[in-house]
Amino acid sequence: MNALAIARFTIQEAASRRLILAGVVLSLAFVGLFTLGFAFLNGKLAEANATRPNPQMVAAFGSIMAILGLYAVHFLASFLGLFLSVGAISGEIDSGTLHAVLARPIGRADFVVGRWLAYVGLMGVYVALMAGLLLLVARLIAGYEAPDPARAMVLMALGPILLLTLSLFGSTLLSTLANGVVVFTLFGLAWLAGIIEFVGDALSNEAMVNLGIVVSLLVPSDELWRGASYYVQSPAFLAAATAGRGAIPFAAIAPPSTPFVIWAVLHPLVFLLLAIVSFSRRDL
Amino acid sequence: MSQTASASPARAAAEGSAAAPAIETAGLRKEYGRKVALHDLSLAVQRGEVFGFLGPNGAGKTTTVKILTGLVRPTAGQARIFGLPAGDPVARRRIGYLPEHFRFHDWLTGADLLDFHGRLAGLSAEERRARIPEVLHLVGLAGRGGERIRNYSKGMAQRIGLAQALLHRPDLVLLDEPTSALDPLGRREVRDLIRGLRAEGLTVFLNSHLLSEIEMVCDRVAIVDRGRVVRSGRLADLVGGAPELRLLLDRVDDALLAALGEYGEVLAVEPASVTLGVPDLEVAPAIAETIVRAGYRLFGLIPVQRSLEDVFVSLVESKEL
Repeated sequence: MNALAIARFTIQEAASRRLILAGVVLSLAFVGLFTLGFAFLNGKLAEANATRPNPQMVAAFGSIMAILGLYAVHFLASFLGLFLSVGAISGEIDSGTLHAVLARPIGRADFVVGRWLAYVGLMGVYVALMAGLLLLVARLIAGYEAPDPARAMVLMALGPILLLTLSLFGSTLLSTLANGVVVFTLFGLAWLAGIIEFVGDALSNEAMVNLGIVVSLLVPSDELWRGASYYVQSPAFLAAATAGRGAIPFAAIAPPSTPFVIWAVLHPLVFLLLAIVSFSRRDL
Repeated sequence: MSQTASASPARAAAEGSAAAPAIETAGLRKEYGRKVALHDLSLAVQRGEVFGFLGPNGAGKTTTVKILTGLVRPTAGQARIFGLPAGDPVARRRIGYLPEHFRFHDWLTGADLLDFHGRLAGLSAEERRARIPEVLHLVGLAGRGGERIRNYSKGMAQRIGLAQALLHRPDLVLLDEPTSALDPLGRREVRDLIRGLRAEGLTVFLNSHLLSEIEMVCDRVAIVDRGRVVRSGRLADLVGGAPELRLLLDRVDDALLAALGEYGEVLAVEPASVTLGVPDLEVAPAIAETIVRAGYRLFGLIPVQRSLEDVFVSLVESKEL
């Protein structure tokens, strides 16, 4: 109950600080740009296809464009999640606004969970809207249908949720700036690990693959994106990519394993719990 | 925090016990790393009192209040609010708290802030609707609730802080420097407000370094220095003590001092004045008569009351040496 009051308050805060407005305006601008680019390229492709038919290219086009667009959404959502939560606790401590709030009969856990719920809700809505819009554009312009958009959206939302939970935990311990640096670095590391794993796989270098796997278990944000990417590529494109050993360095050609998905769901819960414990112990 | 809650029979007993003091601490100690903020703080505040907690900066006043609200955990010792452990949600429901820096979410309007706090305090929507204009009026912000706190002056921010502390009709109000941002008129209003709270039977714990303020509203006072209570008691007893008389004369000599010694202790001698410690101010007329009869000229006979400031300075200074 108190957690819900905090969640409501957190969303009010994001709205009143124009965070939501800025996010919506910029994201819509991005969707507009994507639509224009998509339509333009689609026209060119149709022209080229008319003079020299290339069915493989046409099949690949939808998948590649969808992946590119969603990859950008993945980044936008990750940053948004990070910016929302980076000062969730530390910012309140710095500004001195927490004292009056936490002297009320509410638990520290209520505060942390309330904040988390609000961020998770915002990210969920954001990812669903943005991914939904992009896939709609792909469908309307090129008639491209992603095989399993729902599953892709859930995995795509899990990535930013995982990051924002990490940064929520960090903000119970670190200053806002330090926390931002740490979580952003982890995000970059996970991204790099994904690339290393991809290259290692291409070179059949086991050490590189293992390094990538270890990092992606610690911070599964990039691996979650890859898992999501699998569900938006057409089977024909995936088959071709598998034969050619991976066509896009930042997309997967195999579905995520069930144990990995379970871990990716547990990961934010573990860090939420750590955030509660760490904040409950803190003197204010 | 719920793990600190006592077992339910004990809690029921504590809640029902009208005898438990509003605040009771025993051997309270708080260390921040190597720094000891509170040494061994023991005090009791009875229900219905206005209690002044006085000390120089860094004495541990704010740390004490934070322990009482459950924001800080003591390293050792106990703190109880109405018989319940400090930090217990039931205890916190009965506390109104104005933090030292009175910073609030400034993107909210005053009324929205109160609504948010009312929600957290467990007030229903109806109670909030009725109570919010009431407290705004009480703190002198009637009609200003619709403005964003960002645009409030410092004094207004402190007032909204007071409103927030009184919103849920607490039994105990902890005010940490409640008038630091107010002008003299505002201070007077807050003093009247505190007196009003006492009249309603509330207990007020007032943290302040403004001695005159404490002197004007408090029933009892504790002076704290470096994490310890160095003196506590009823205000009248603290500042009372043995009365003193200051005599202004045309001259002072040994014969006069000998005569005055009959009435009390000569505390200070200057060329044209004597300060005399007397058991009772009732002796003043007799002293005047003695002086005049002995042929001295008396220009003034002034009863001197020791101010809280004198007590405070002497206590804190003597520890400094």
